[in-house]
Amino acid sequence: MTSGLTSRNGVRNENYLNLKAVTLEPRPFPRADGPDKVTGTGRYAADMVLPGMAFARFKYAEISHARIVRLDTSKAESLPGVVAVITATDVPDVRYSPGVADRTLFATDAVRFEGEILAAVAATTEALAQAAVDAIEVEYEQLPTVTDVVQAIAPGAPLVHPDWQNYEVSAETEQRPNVASFSSIAHGDAEAGMARAATVVTSRYVADASHASPIEPRAILAQWEGRKLTVWSATQVPFDARAGVCETLDLPTNQVRIIVPHLGGGFGGKCGFHFEAHIAALARAAGRPVKLVFSRKEEFLAPDRRREGMVVELTTGLNADGTIAARTGTLLIDNGAYTADAAFFPQLAAMLAAGPYRIPALKIEASLVYTNHQPSGSVRAPTAPQACWAIESHTDELAATVGMAPVEFRRLNGLRSGDVGPVGQTYGEIGLQACIDSVASRLTGETGTEADEAIGLAVGWWPSFPGPSGAYIKIDSDGAGQIITGAQECGTGAVMTLRQLAADELGMAAEDFELVYQDTGVAPYDTGATGSQTLFNNGRAVLLAASELADQIRQLAADHLEAAPSDIVLSDGHASVAGSPNPAVSVAELAATAAGAELLIAHGSGKPGEYPETVGASCVGDQGVAAWASPQFSCHGVRVRLDSETGVVRVLNVATCHDSGTILNPLGALGQVEGGVLMGIGQALTEGTQYDEDGCQRNPGLLEYKLQTAADAPTITTQFVETTGGQGPHGAKGLAEAPNVATAAAISNALAKLIGSHVTQLPMTPERVWATMTDATPSDADRDATGHDTSEPKSGDEL
Amino acid sequence: MTIDEQGSESESIGYDLHVNGQTYPVEATLDRNLLGVLRTEIGLTGTKEGCDDCECGACMVLLDGQPVNSCSYLAAQAQGRQITTIEGLGNADQLHPLQECLLAHGGVQCGFCTPGMIISAHALLERNSSPSRDEVGIGLSGNLCRCTGYAKIIDAVLDSASNGSVEPTP
Repeated sequence: MTSGLTSRNGVRNENYLNLKAVTLEPRPFPRADGPDKVTGTGRYAADMVLPGMAFARFKYAEISHARIVRLDTSKAESLPGVVAVITATDVPDVRYSPGVADRTLFATDAVRFEGEILAAVAATTEALAQAAVDAIEVEYEQLPTVTDVVQAIAPGAPLVHPDWQNYEVSAETEQRPNVASFSSIAHGDAEAGMARAATVVTSRYVADASHASPIEPRAILAQWEGRKLTVWSATQVPFDARAGVCETLDLPTNQVRIIVPHLGGGFGGKCGFHFEAHIAALARAAGRPVKLVFSRKEEFLAPDRRREGMVVELTTGLNADGTIAARTGTLLIDNGAYTADAAFFPQLAAMLAAGPYRIPALKIEASLVYTNHQPSGSVRAPTAPQACWAIESHTDELAATVGMAPVEFRRLNGLRSGDVGPVGQTYGEIGLQACIDSVASRLTGETGTEADEAIGLAVGWWPSFPGPSGAYIKIDSDGAGQIITGAQECGTGAVMTLRQLAADELGMAAEDFELVYQDTGVAPYDTGATGSQTLFNNGRAVLLAASELADQIRQLAADHLEAAPSDIVLSDGHASVAGSPNPAVSVAELAATAAGAELLIAHGSGKPGEYPETVGASCVGDQGVAAWASPQFSCHGVRVRLDSETGVVRVLNVATCHDSGTILNPLGALGQVEGGVLMGIGQALTEGTQYDEDGCQRNPGLLEYKLQTAADAPTITTQFVETTGGQGPHGAKGLAEAPNVATAAAISNALAKLIGSHVTQLPMTPERVWATMTDATPSDADRDATGHDTSEPKSGDEL
Repeated sequence: MTIDEQGSESESIGYDLHVNGQTYPVEATLDRNLLGVLRTEIGLTGTKEGCDDCECGACMVLLDGQPVNSCSYLAAQAQGRQITTIEGLGNADQLHPLQECLLAHGGVQCGFCTPGMIISAHALLERNSSPSRDEVGIGLSGNLCRCTGYAKIIDAVLDSASNGSVEPTP
């Protein structure tokens, strides 16, 4: 395991005009956490126990919108075994959330969604805690429920937050009644461009909300020792969780330590600050450790991390030659009752709705709309699968209008290296066209498409997120290394790959290093497992620390071997003098020497990559995501089979290609792409939250909210275009979210070939597919389920 | 005496469970599921709870070699039967071939579904020592994984099968 990360398999072509996708041969990837995970000895948050530990349960609103007339916890408090009951009056009066501070830990005057927490109970058993919750009495005065984003912004609509004008907001957030955040991006004169266009096409697409659904439900255990608080939490973002605890409980950061045991997946669902402060406050009131473990139903109802529903209206003007003349769009994004981290969603969604295309004139407006639904928040590539599904379905409609093959339309209009993007950002080397070529050649290279099968493709794009991050590396007296990092492993292998980065820099083996991670008490800051940023930013920190440590080793070796430090070569765990036949000295021996003197210890952080400039664009409500650092591009293509009797769609095989810059760990990268594709298939076909008329979820369980299974899994082939210019280590960009962008759109386009028009509501359930096929409108799917593409169905085996 | 979820008292009884070749005396009320007793009374936390509703497979264990969702199986009913959990299949010093194959193929990411997945794969290979790709997919379809897209898990099980790695349940 000493082959360098830079010696990748596959040919790297430096000439961007001839960029080519390659199939990467995975190198062995020994996960440091692997043995723990396959033997069951690894501890997750729900496995943690402490002496005297009590069990927590929450009292939820169970109603979407109401004024609290009376909240009485006295009966609960008097029950046997109950050690604490707390409500809003027991915690500091703090309104929080990044972007728009609209949230409190516990409901005060009103509840605004069914999962809002009124009170928390701790008792000596889980059953007693539940019995106490059931004994809490609440009297409500019901308020009108806001459940539809279109109606929510109509004049005279009931307000979810009557006090919205008094909320503290970030300077860039533009608020309106029932609109938490508004953003527009504009470039050129869209109105004039549309007027000059030869053809104008308008589409409307509606996406239902969905869920991150990690297999591990969240769990939290909090313990106070004097003034010091330790919280074991299933969070993707321990430093963010710490910030939330400190803000809401009014504590300094050095009194709060967040430790994440192994994390059982997140996909954004465990980003942000959730329930750590509730449990910490409960533990303080109880005078003993308190543990919370969510049921699957709670995992669906309570977190502020639902994938947002969306209404997308797009109009594109085309020139006679098929080039895009202008695009306008309006997006309504269902924020739910509170804003969580979603304030930047409008700008992000607007960018995604513009798409990775050459568009001379553009205007897209997007609003994050309050409703009485569960709050939305960053779930893997927030806003992207839905917005991409809409714009890429629209793109196939555009191609049909001008009589072009969808793949040729994308080749003509898709961004190329050196192009200026839709908001005036000039791109360097980008691999979009090579991604299209790679997928198209693999999909059309297949033969034997059956009558009920079709292929389709879609392109996607997604930013990388530069940010601060730190790490230490030390080598102790026996030559054993430790990487002490603030980074969080949520399963992707990003933290696991750090060992290889350090080892390659130091001429050592990955197995020479153990990881100390996901503990805010011992490691420097990192943003967490969010925004595909772990390897992108923490990799930079680890490389810098390793480089500093290499200098220390070279200095020691230079003294030992009587040579200049610059002549010392580190390889195979030894230091030697370049070109000298003299024996090398082992790093372990040098580490033993250092242990009695200055120690082998180094740190790294480094300046985060800069965000590029946009030129000639105007953005209202700028949230910093109109220009994309290290932009990633992708193309996904699928072959689907339709059962025309039932509307059931099956994805048979998938071809993907990604430009995420340098691929540091091919096996891990393939795992990200394949997992993203399956999540995309779920979003396309089965995963959608259904609401009743009061805004309560009708399917908060894995039987009714159906994830893809191993029996559904298609064959997936993947290639990468390793462009230059990524700001991450060795030219890497982010990766984990990008594979969750284009799959649903590709399925939509393949399906449309079979049934003659696009299904305009996501997920494209059998009922909606069938309704589109027959142009019927069953009562349960009548909302926006009208196909409007009347072009002739194409044969299914062409792109 | 303990108090059940309805707030009424119920009697604990004592019985033995045979887990991974060892006998454990247990004292628990009759309503306790096998998952909870394994995790909290016996202290084997490798078996995970993902849904408490037979939907995710994270709690899969073998009962006399047959895979069951331990969340929906009463602990007291497992008396007199051989229970195998993930802890019974291998350890870090001597991984079971299925465990080795899963790691080598990149079939492990967050790891939360992994114990249940391995148990199901083990049961599948005992029934069918050379399954097709589709048969593996169907055999594992009761175990949800959100990370991997299943491809690498299926690759690992096929690889393990081709090496004849199925060993009798302890």
